[in-house]
Amino acid sequence: MTTLASAATGTWRPTQRRSLALAAVTLVAAAILYTQLQRFAAFLTYDLAGLTRGSRLGSAAEFFLFEVPKVLLLLTGVVFVVGVLRTFFTPERARHLLAGRREASGNVLAAVFGIATPFCSCSAVPLFIGFVTAGVPLGVTFSFLISAPMVNEVALVLLFGLFGWRVAALYLGTGLAIAVVAGWIIGRLKLERHVEPWVWKIQAGGGGPETRKTWRDRLADGRAAVREIVGKVWLYVVLGIAVGAGIHGYVPTNFMASFMGRAAWWAVPLAVLLGIPMYSNAAGIIPVVQALLGKGAALGTVLAFMMSVIALSLPEVIILRKVLRPALIATFVAVVGGGILLVGYLFNAVM
Amino acid sequence: MPSRKRIEVLGPGCTRCKETFRVVRHVVEEGGLDVELVKDESIERMMALGLMATPGLAIDGKVVLSGRIPKAEEVRQLLGVA
Repeated sequence: MTTLASAATGTWRPTQRRSLALAAVTLVAAAILYTQLQRFAAFLTYDLAGLTRGSRLGSAAEFFLFEVPKVLLLLTGVVFVVGVLRTFFTPERARHLLAGRREASGNVLAAVFGIATPFCSCSAVPLFIGFVTAGVPLGVTFSFLISAPMVNEVALVLLFGLFGWRVAALYLGTGLAIAVVAGWIIGRLKLERHVEPWVWKIQAGGGGPETRKTWRDRLADGRAAVREIVGKVWLYVVLGIAVGAGIHGYVPTNFMASFMGRAAWWAVPLAVLLGIPMYSNAAGIIPVVQALLGKGAALGTVLAFMMSVIALSLPEVIILRKVLRPALIATFVAVVGGGILLVGYLFNAVM
Repeated sequence: MPSRKRIEVLGPGCTRCKETFRVVRHVVEEGGLDVELVKDESIERMMALGLMATPGLAIDGKVVLSGRIPKAEEVRQLLGVA
């Protein structure tokens, strides 16, 4: 690895500066393009296709033509930036920082690291064991495990693009809060005995190498993240927006208010329950939900649904079962689910 | 050439892990390398190696890559294929 790094600093310098500049220029160009999308969509819909302003088809088409490039552009930009930022965080570093931390401050730190560290749900078990055996308290480990999927960058982008920065910030803030508080509660409950006993006996090995990354590597990682994530979700986003556009143009206003509005007390728990078995379809669901919201669905219900889809997924629970006894799994689902319920009701009450 | 290298691809069987195995196998086959290539899905092995993010790649019991799908070029370099 050292030879690789020195080779990089020796011969790749000019290329490195060039790729940094290229990345910056691309980001600026994308930002300019982004500000012109509304005008462009209107031009395509009304001037080029000749649809009537205010007509159902016209408003659905304009919605689609504006939202698709907007969301995809935003998604690509953010996934790239996040991909680059994430090269600065590794699970090994997070573990090193969290080992031996006290609760409370440890929970907060873990939740923040959970968002920043690249993580896939199939890594949940090795990560869990790696943390716990290194002396990271159980509750702190859970804060990490909860915040990692809860605050999802794709969901954050979609919320920002479709609902505005306030909702995105609320999602980020409450997601973090749930991770911190839920982890803290799990820590207080002293559930260590509900971790499968073999976990404590493991002698964890040294782990991977601390690779020194150049900016060229980091940008390449960012591009790889775009290929991997945007390549996987773009179709869902387009389909979701297409359905959303249909709702936007054709479903009467306030249609949703009757069953997803704030008046229906059971809307939030129902949304959470529906969300648990769903997994990683947030990308397609958010545009639909945004259109529903415009027709009278309540924001809290919508947020609860989204968080439940992303944070409490059946596949992850099944994976975690390998290391956790049912009692601890149930506590995990209950505490996180309870937090999401609270957020749902809170937003329905204040917004 | 001393003994055959033992190359392990580690991961619980998610798509990213399968993709990693595919990349590594491609490099091994393309270079006609005389190595032992295995895919290990057991948590115990991951823990013994200290791997915390999957997919992972280990050569002779040493983790050389973790948490992402490598590019063929990277694997070639790690395996010492020119």
